[in-house]
Amino acid sequence: MNSFEQINIGDTLGPLELFVSKDQCRAYARTMGMGEGAGRFTDDEAARKEGLPGMIIPGNMSLGLVSKLVTDWIGSSNAWLTRMSTTYRVPVQPDRTVTIHGFITNKNPEDRTAEIDVWMENEESERLVTGTATVEFRK
Amino acid sequence: MAVNYDPALINKVFEITEPVEVKAEKIERYCAALGETNPIYTDAEAAKKGPYGEIVAPPSFAVTFRNGRHFFENVPRFGMRGFDAGKDVEFVAPIRPGDNVTLSSHVKEIYEKTGRTGTMVFVVIRSTLKNQNDQVLAHIDHRFMNRP
Repeated sequence: MNSFEQINIGDTLGPLELFVSKDQCRAYARTMGMGEGAGRFTDDEAARKEGLPGMIIPGNMSLGLVSKLVTDWIGSSNAWLTRMSTTYRVPVQPDRTVTIHGFITNKNPEDRTAEIDVWMENEESERLVTGTATVEFRK
Repeated sequence: MAVNYDPALINKVFEITEPVEVKAEKIERYCAALGETNPIYTDAEAAKKGPYGEIVAPPSFAVTFRNGRHFFENVPRFGMRGFDAGKDVEFVAPIRPGDNVTLSSHVKEIYEKTGRTGTMVFVVIRSTLKNQNDQVLAHIDHRFMNRP
């Protein structure tokens, strides 16, 4: 990643293209020990009974994937993701490709932070998850 | 329509969990499930040279902690269907393998909103994560949407 001095408003992060499989979604639910109510994340039929089109990705997993765009950008530098805000607009379905984008909207020299708009979209360019992130560049 | 709830719910801490030990294996499985490859989260040798001197969990790992009962007993429900609507997270300090994390939660806010698809009631639960040294690791506002 570039230093705080080198980044600019308007710089983009990514895009990060990911294929999220149903097995990956189930592995996430299993790793997190999701119990009651996890059927919608692990089983198509259980999800349909709830009126969904099929299995969906847990909201927390979407947050993890969107965060990954920012932490990949940070790499192993001495910067830190201090805030992440996400809104889940449309259920994210597995076995599809999603693309995660970022765009620097502000840069504050006083506290050496950058504000970033982030979003996840599907192949139809529909925004599934939107949010903002703040990264602090430590000296 | 104004949403009805007991105002005493707001700000009342309804559960503080027993400490949960963060196991290195769980961080590994979390990274695998997300396709996380950043070596500061996945490679002990590389992480030694990184900013934390050891492996830490990706920041988003913070949102995976749960109050054991809170979703099913203490969070007020409005309507039949509930969904995770989003999160606002402040990542204060990295979570490390071996940390013992406690989670304290309260109802921060309840509000109603009418959108294209009808009326929804939002319940915001604020959780604060601390480690064994009483250091705050994260503040998380969980937004749950209830649809009649």
